[in-house]
Amino acid sequence: MKELEERMGGNDDFFILPDQILGTPFVMMGFVTLIDLTRTKITLRKNRESLSESVSDITELMAVFGDIREFDLEEMVTLFIGGKLILLFEGQQRYVVVEPIPNVLSRAVESPTNENVLQGSMSSFNEDIDTNIGIVRKQSISKHVRVKTFLTGSEQLKKLSLIYDNCHVEPELVEKIIKQIESSSEYEINNLQNLSKAMGFSSWSAIPKFYTTELPQEAANALKKGKVILFVDRLPFALILPNLLWDMFSLDNDRNFPLPIMYAIRILRVIGVLTTLLAPGLYVALVAVNPEVLRIELALTIAQSREGVPYPAIVEIIFMLVILELIIEASTRLPRSIGPTITMVGGIILGQAVVTARLVSNLLIIVLAATTIANSTVVGFQNSLSIRLFKYLLVILCSIYGVLGLLAGLVILSAYLASINTFGISYLNFNMKKGETENG
Amino acid sequence: MDKSNHVVLVYCLTQLGFMFFFYPGNIISSATEGHWIPIVIGMLVNILVVWAYMKGLSYFPKQDIISIYLGVGKWAAFVFLCPLVIFLLLVNIITVRGFSEVISLVFLENTPVWAISGLFISISTYMAMNGIGAIFRTGVLLAFLFLPLILFTFVISFQNVDFHYVFPLLTKNFSFLWQPGYIHSFSAFAGSFLFLGFITPYFTYSRSKMMLALAALVPFFILSVYLPILTFGQATASTFNFPFVVLVSTVHINWLMFDRVTMFLLLSLITFAMLFISLLLWEVSRILKRAMPKAKPSYLILIVSTLIFAACLSISSWQDVQMLFSWNVSFRFFTLFAIPFSILIIGLRSGRRQKVENR
Repeated sequence: MKELEERMGGNDDFFILPDQILGTPFVMMGFVTLIDLTRTKITLRKNRESLSESVSDITELMAVFGDIREFDLEEMVTLFIGGKLILLFEGQQRYVVVEPIPNVLSRAVESPTNENVLQGSMSSFNEDIDTNIGIVRKQSISKHVRVKTFLTGSEQLKKLSLIYDNCHVEPELVEKIIKQIESSSEYEINNLQNLSKAMGFSSWSAIPKFYTTELPQEAANALKKGKVILFVDRLPFALILPNLLWDMFSLDNDRNFPLPIMYAIRILRVIGVLTTLLAPGLYVALVAVNPEVLRIELALTIAQSREGVPYPAIVEIIFMLVILELIIEASTRLPRSIGPTITMVGGIILGQAVVTARLVSNLLIIVLAATTIANSTVVGFQNSLSIRLFKYLLVILCSIYGVLGLLAGLVILSAYLASINTFGISYLNFNMKKGETENG
Repeated sequence: MDKSNHVVLVYCLTQLGFMFFFYPGNIISSATEGHWIPIVIGMLVNILVVWAYMKGLSYFPKQDIISIYLGVGKWAAFVFLCPLVIFLLLVNIITVRGFSEVISLVFLENTPVWAISGLFISISTYMAMNGIGAIFRTGVLLAFLFLPLILFTFVISFQNVDFHYVFPLLTKNFSFLWQPGYIHSFSAFAGSFLFLGFITPYFTYSRSKMMLALAALVPFFILSVYLPILTFGQATASTFNFPFVVLVSTVHINWLMFDRVTMFLLLSLITFAMLFISLLLWEVSRILKRAMPKAKPSYLILIVSTLIFAACLSISSWQDVQMLFSWNVSFRFFTLFAIPFSILIIGLRSGRRQKVENR
C-alpha cells in the first residue's frame, strides 16, 4: 500500500477511497480523470445491494466485482493508466480489477472534417479506436470481418487494430503484416511516421504507403476489395494498406451516381492530376526553352504578356508557386475566423497586384490558378501533397530541357511509381483480387 | 505468373519507339518501288525468328537463355553471350547517341548533346535499377500516357496523303536485298525481342498473344514507310534522313495551338526508347551478374551505363554514329538469327532427349 502511494505520488488526480462492504473494509483506487467516480460508485453500490447475505467467503465477495489478480505493482500501475478501477481488500495479497464507467473523453461520431462527401454516408472515424472498429463493423456487416488487436510501445502503450475480411483478403498479406507488427512491438507509435517505421517502410517514400480516410464507407469498400485496415488509437482515421495509384482517383461514393457520371468524375480527376503536374512545367518549357512549338500568334501573345517581367520564367514560376504554397499552409494554420483574411489578401496579391506591378505575367496567374484548383481534385489530402511535391521536379527539369524535360519528368515519375510496392503489392495494381498480388 | 499483356505491351512499345526513326528511311533508300515487298519480307523474317525463339524457350520453363546456354556448356555461353553483350552495348550507345542527336537537331539547339544523353542514360539507369517488374509497370504507365499521343499523330499524318503514289505496287527488282539500307532496316527488329528470353524466370506469357502482337505491328510498319511516300513521293522521301519525322512536321492543324506536332511524336517515341534502353541495360546486367555472381546488379548497371555514357561522349559526329551502326551489322545478324535458332535447336534436342527418357 505504501509502495503504491509512493509510486503514484505526484499525481493529484489519483484517488484512494476507503469503503467497506458487509463489514469488510477495502480501498478503491484509480484516476479520477479517467473514471466517472460518482456513477461508478452508484453501480458498485447497486451491485452490493443485490448481494445476498449468505456470501461469507471473501474470495466469492471479490469475484462479484471483477477480475481477481495476484498483487503485482507494475501491472497495477499499467491498469491505472489504462483507466481501470482497482479494489484492494484489507489483508489480502490479491486485488480486484473493476471495469468502471469511464469519463467520456472522445468526441461523438461526427461528420468528416477533412474529406467532403456528396450524397454519401456522413459519419466519420474519431479518436477512439473501439468506436472506429464499431463503425466499421456497422458499415460492413459480414461474418468474415476479423479484428486483431496489438499493443505496441515500451514507454507508452498504444493500441493497434488490424481489420480484414477473411474471405477477400490474401492470407499471405495478413500474415506478413501481423509478423511485421509483432516483430516491431517495441516501437512507439504516435504518428504515421512512427507507424511506417514500425511497418518496415522506407521513411523517404514520397508517396504515402497508407491510404488514410475518414470515411467508413471507403474503409468498408477497402475491406471488400481485399485490403487491410489499420487503426491506431487516437488517430481519427483508418489507414488502409496497401495504398494504390487508383485510390487517388476513385471514391466508393462515386458509385452513388449513375455510371457515366462516375466515369466522367474519375476522368476529371485524372485530368486534374495531369494538369497539376504538367501545367507549370509546360509554361516554363514553352516560355523559356521551346517557344517555337507554339503557334506564332500564341507565342507572340505570351511574349507580350511577359513584357517587362524582369527575370526568367523559372524564377518567376518558383517565386509564385512558393507564395501559393505559403497561402495554402497559412490558411490551414490559422483559426477559422481569421482564415478569410488570408484568402482575401492572397487573392488580391495573386489576382491583381503582381500583374499590375509587372512582376509576373498574366498567363502565369492563369497557370497557377489552374494548377491549384486541379490539385484539389485528387482524392485524399495526402495524395494531393505528393502531387504538389512532384510538380517541382517537372518544373526544374523543364527549365533545363524544355518539353523534353517535361516528358523525362513524367518518365521518372512513372518509373518511381512503378518501383513502389507495399508487402509485395505494386502501387500500380488496379485491384487486389486473389492470385494477382504482383500484377502491375 | 502470366503477364502476357505486359510482355506484349512492352514489346510493342519498344518496336514503336524504333519503327518511326530509322526504319522508313532505310526502306525507302533501299527500294524504289513496291516497298511493301521488302517490308513484308522483313516482317516475315522477324515473325519467324521470334517464333523460333519462343518455341525454343518453351522447352525450358523457368529458365532464361543464360542458364540454357550454361546448361549446354561454358563454351556455348561464351560463344553466344559475348557477341550478345557487345551487341547490346553497341545498340545502347547508338540509341542514346542517336536520339540525343535527333533531339538536339529538332528542338534543343542550344543544349549540349552530352547533357541530353546524360539525361537519357540516367533515367534509363534508374528504371533498370528498379528491376524488371518495375520496367514492365513503367511501360504500362507510359503506354497510358503516350500511346494516345502517338496514335493521334499517326492519324493526322494522313492529312497530305496522295494515294496515287502507292503505284507501282509490284516490282521485279529484288536488288534491295543487298542494299545497305535494307540490311540496316533489320535493326528495327533485332534487340526488341531478346528480352523474352530473359524474363522467363519471372513471368510466363502466352505465345499466341505474342504472335498476334507481331501481326498487329505489320500495318504500322507498312504505314510508317508508306505515309512519307504517299505524302512526298519516293523521289523526295528518299532524300530525308528521317522521312516520318519530316512528314509529321508538314502537318498543319487549324484548331491545335501547337505549331509543331512533330515534337509530340518525337518525345513520345523517346520515352519508349528510354524504356528500351533500360530493358537492354537490365539484360546486360543479367548476363554480367552470371559472370560475376558476387557483384550487386545495381552496381553493374551503374558501371555499364557509365561506360555507355563515356562512349557517347567520345562520339563526336553523326558520321561516327553511322559507322558504329555499320560495325554493328555482324553482331545484329548474329543476335537476329544465331541466338533464336540456337535456342530452338538446343530446345528440340533436349525435348527429344526427354522423350527418349520417358519412353
